[in-house]
Amino acid sequence: MHVPEQLRDAVVIGAGLAGLRAAVDLERAGCDVLVLEARDRIGGRAWSGVAEDGSTIDFGGQWLGPGQTRALALAEATGMEVFPTWVAGANVELREGERLEYSGLIPTADPDASIEVVTAMLDLDLLGLDVPVGAPWEHEDAALLDAETMATWLDRNLASPVSRGIVEVALQAVFGVNSDELSVLFVLAYLHGGGGLTNLTRTTGGAQERRMDAGAGALAAHLAKKLHGRIELDAPVDRIEWDATGVTVHVVGRSVPVTARRAVLALSPILAERIALDPEVPQRHALAAGMTMGRVRKVHARYARPFWRERGLSGQLISTNGSISSTFDNSPSDGTSGALVGFIAGRDYDATADLTDDARRNLVLDELACAFGPEARLATEYHEVDWPAEEWTGGGPVAVMQPGVLTRVGDALRRPIGPVHLAGTETALEWCGYLEGALESGERAAAEVVASLALTKGSEEG
Amino acid sequence: MASTDEIIEAYGEWQSRSNANDRLRKMLRGWDRVVIVETTDTHERLTITVVDQTLTDIVVGAPEMVDLVVTGTSEDFCDMFWGDLNPSEKYISGEIVIHGAQADVMRLDAMSMVAFLDQ
Ligand SMILES: Cc1cc2nc3c(=O)[nH]c(=O)nc-3n(C[C@H](O)[C@H](O)[C@H](O)COP(=O)(O)OP(=O)(O)OC[C@H]3O[C@@H](n4cnc5c(N)ncnc54)[C@H](O)[C@@H]3O)c2cc1C
Repeated sequence: MHVPEQLRDAVVIGAGLAGLRAAVDLERAGCDVLVLEARDRIGGRAWSGVAEDGSTIDFGGQWLGPGQTRALALAEATGMEVFPTWVAGANVELREGERLEYSGLIPTADPDASIEVVTAMLDLDLLGLDVPVGAPWEHEDAALLDAETMATWLDRNLASPVSRGIVEVALQAVFGVNSDELSVLFVLAYLHGGGGLTNLTRTTGGAQERRMDAGAGALAAHLAKKLHGRIELDAPVDRIEWDATGVTVHVVGRSVPVTARRAVLALSPILAERIALDPEVPQRHALAAGMTMGRVRKVHARYARPFWRERGLSGQLISTNGSISSTFDNSPSDGTSGALVGFIAGRDYDATADLTDDARRNLVLDELACAFGPEARLATEYHEVDWPAEEWTGGGPVAVMQPGVLTRVGDALRRPIGPVHLAGTETALEWCGYLEGALESGERAAAEVVASLALTKGSEEG
Repeated sequence: MASTDEIIEAYGEWQSRSNANDRLRKMLRGWDRVVIVETTDTHERLTITVVDQTLTDIVVGAPEMVDLVVTGTSEDFCDMFWGDLNPSEKYISGEIVIHGAQADVMRLDAMSMVAFLDQ
């Protein structure tokens, strides 16, 4: 067989953690690999910058928690400090203009409502355990569960508006959307893979337990270093021609395409669908059309010192009214300066999207002042990342599924399209939506490619 | 360090509170389990059985077939049973460790949150 000179073993599209993990694994397996990245930077949703005082700011993913073995090991390999999220002190709840303090996971001002929340979260977590990992459509009630939104499930299972509000905030924090945008089956599968809603919303003992001194961007940088420059930035892919033997990948504005025996699409299914495939696979459109990227604006307010700690507050806030729905203490590990991180997500994102930057900033700082004291207005630095406005991500933290998608085209999430393999946190079996899931998916896609290349080689030789 | 008698006494308080708590009992529906309490400092093993939505008396020793093993210091168990300590905080910080099927661990975790919220 004639092999053109520039034919590579594999091309990876997307230099997020999924793509970088896949590329490193492929190179380790002896493949000649190239990564194409649309942005002028690597990392995708793992993106860190530097504050004026020199400490790290994570604009996207930032926390690690127990059970996220790949991400924790990678963080350790970078040599950076991984430290516990600050939790000492009372948490604050803002509800209908009232300010309440509480300890633990669930606001406690209304014990009846709190108990309803714990019970509903347990019910969801237990239901999730019955959803087959990797094949939710095989659940015996899959059709029923996938026909319902979380909104109607909550209507049936939560009597009080207070408990309803708390669970809505939890879903908004985890998915960046509201309950009426989520299929119950999708949520249950997601919870199963992430150890449950209780686990996903917890700080200590859960998904927000630890932070990385040098940020999630350092995870991407560590992987990229192992690729010795085999990453091309500013290389948005818009079309892939494929047949059984390989792919021809077209980059916007370049006349010479990249050819390879295999491709890994390492991005959310919604972004992946914007890349035309020739021949096309209709299922991809159905999948992308039924998915929505979460809507989240990640906000950082920085201060000379973590003043809330002096008032016995943890910096954690749950708010069922206003724009910010949750905050955490995001100060550097030595506490020499203070930082609060907050999220404006789902409906709150929509409601504040049209405000001017100044108006939104004032609104946010007012809410922080309400929760933590007037000093909150005196932020020395203020950063916002509008994830839906990010062209090459389109939202965050994750792409979610509306009813009917998983049972109809869910298997298109991971099933290779000829020589095109699919990665990205949305395709992960466990920790979908998280840094850990991105790494798992990259690892899986690389293994698929290696196995299929070995097969091809075997049949060529045989 | 707390003696075994002190743990048994504190448990008695927890048991009567729990058995009088309708919300907790509702969460115990269909959940008959054998739970072992194991102290890391005094190396004691005690058995609690959940039958028909009711917590039985605690007994010294452990049978061979158990569903859940909860490990912690004798002091923490005492404080938890007296209601002075939030068991869920000790659990998430890893000072109290629960071994068992994931569903059972999730339920015990949720029940301890409810018990603490409701006291
Ligand atoms: C605000 C926010 C907070 C989060 N918080 C956490 C957290 O605390 N903990 C946690 O574990 N996770 C968190 N996440 C999620 C986590 O960041 C993601 O799960 C993970 O980074 C996804 O990695 P990925 O490689 O799958 O996708 P991405 O990071 O999205 O990578 C895809 C890459 O593909 C590139 N690309 C897109 N289109 C093209 C194209 N046509 N051609 C070439 N390249 C293209 C993109 O530029 C991008 O670099 C958060 C995410 C956000 C947005």
